[in-house]
Formats: sequence, structure tokens, C-alpha cells
Amino acid sequence: MRKRSLVLFALLLAFWLAISAEVDVQHLLVGAVLALMTVWFWQDLGPRLPRLLSAEELLLLGHCLMTLIRFIIQSNIAVAKTIILSSPPVGPVFVVMRPPIESNWGRVLLANCITITPGTVTVDIDPKTGQFIVHVLTDEAAAELFSWQIIREISHLETWSQRRTKHAVATDRSHGVDSHRALTSDYRSDGD
Amino acid sequence: MIKFLANLCFVGSFCAFALGTLGLFRLPDPYTRLHGVGMGDTLGVGLAGLGLLLLSPTWVLRIKLVIVLLLFWTINPTMTHLVAKAGLIHGVYPVEGTKVIKG
Repeated sequence: MRKRSLVLFALLLAFWLAISAEVDVQHLLVGAVLALMTVWFWQDLGPRLPRLLSAEELLLLGHCLMTLIRFIIQSNIAVAKTIILSSPPVGPVFVVMRPPIESNWGRVLLANCITITPGTVTVDIDPKTGQFIVHVLTDEAAAELFSWQIIREISHLETWSQRRTKHAVATDRSHGVDSHRALTSDYRSDGD
Repeated sequence: MIKFLANLCFVGSFCAFALGTLGLFRLPDPYTRLHGVGMGDTLGVGLAGLGLLLLSPTWVLRIKLVIVLLLFWTINPTMTHLVAKAGLIHGVYPVEGTKVIKG
């Protein structure tokens, strides 16, 4: 706990120094006071702070990010083709799927990866079942989404991570509106 | 040479933003338009950042640019997701012919 606060303090101070123009006594002092206040103010979040990554996890995460950049470039070209040439044609699809990822951070990472790739947008995740609702621009992209390489990589990363910690933090939060029901039922009726 | 590469990045960024804006007009409903704008958000911002990274004279500036890019790539998908979710919850119509596939 104390170690985590110290790491957070160091990171905040480093961030402060990076965004301020110069390193002198004034900036260091103000940065240290602000970082201390922030760490004190958010101390209740301590147990939820992510632990430091091991070397293997960092390598896997780096590989995942490289793959993601490749997919971002590929799908940018695909979306550009759809916009200019309409080939493949626009065929919007809501994909409802359950990727084999159990932890909260894994789901958030996957949702972010899906949304940052043009052509796919994560609309909702059910925190209880891990069900994703994804809006996809074309049929082809929808077919590819089920066996997406990033899903396997994040799942692999999660397996590695679970060897070190046995449990993920359960938030016990549920959404106010059941989007899956809204999607499958006739939610258009009150839209007129 | 570095200046040429940076300019190439800026031209690429411009093209990505231009295509994204074209997508706003050509795509049929709010959900699909999000995909068009997403092009400018990822490749457009990424290439502009890369060009600026190539041109920046000091390491402090480069670190700042990398932080800006990382923040951008974290916040942007989150906001895109929120817009889509808000649309679905408030009953925004998808275009005719939108399919639902369960897998």
C-alpha cells in the first residue's frame, strides 16, 4: 500500500515535470505538493491501483499494441475504401459476442482496442456476463471480429496475469439500462 | 529528409481527416458516421503527432507529445463509446437493414 502510494507520487511528479516547461526549485516544490495532495485525496483508491507489470506482461502488452497499430492501419484503409468506393458496401451490423475475457481491465482494454479501430465501435459491455455489443460498419469486418487476433492476445495476457494474482477486483456495479434488452426488443416504439 | 517525412505525415493526416469528414456526409446513420470520424481520430491524429515528433527539437517536447497522443487514444474511444451507447439508450434509429448477429 505504502509502496503503491510512493510509486503513484513519483509518477505524478514525473508527469508534472514533463508537462511543465522546466525543472527548477519552484516547479519541483509545487509539483511535489500537488502530487502529495493528489495521493492523499485518492488514498481510498489505493487497493484498486493496478500492480506493476512484470517483464513478460510488458512484452506481451507491447506485442499487443504493435498488432493493434497494424490493425488500425488496415482498417483505416478498409473504411476509406467503404467511404470512397463503397466496396465493401456499408452493411451495418450489431454484433453480440462473449469474448473469453474475465477481468475488468481485460474487458476495458479490449473495448478500447475495438473502438479505436475504425469500423468497429463497442456500444456496451455487460459487467456480469462479459457480453459485448459492438457496432460494425461492414459484414466482412463483423465476420472477422469473432476471431480477432487482439482477443486472443488479451486473453493470453490475462492468463499470464492470473498466474500472479488469483482474483480481479469485483466492482459490483450494474448498468442503469439493459442495453441488450433495448437492442433486441422494439425500442423504436417510443422514438416517434 | 526529416522535414520531408514530417510533411508526408502531415499530408497523410490531412487525407485521413478529409476522408473522415467525407464519411460524415456519405454514411447513412449516426452509428456508421462514428466509424468515419474514427478515421481522423486514430490515423489523422497519429500521423500529425508523428510529424510533430519528427520536427520537435527537444526531448521534453517529444515526451509531451507522446503523453498527448496516449491521452488522445484513451479518451477518444471512450467518448465514441459513450456517444454510441447514449444513442442506443435514447432510441436513435439505426439505418434500415442493420442486422444483429449473436455469436
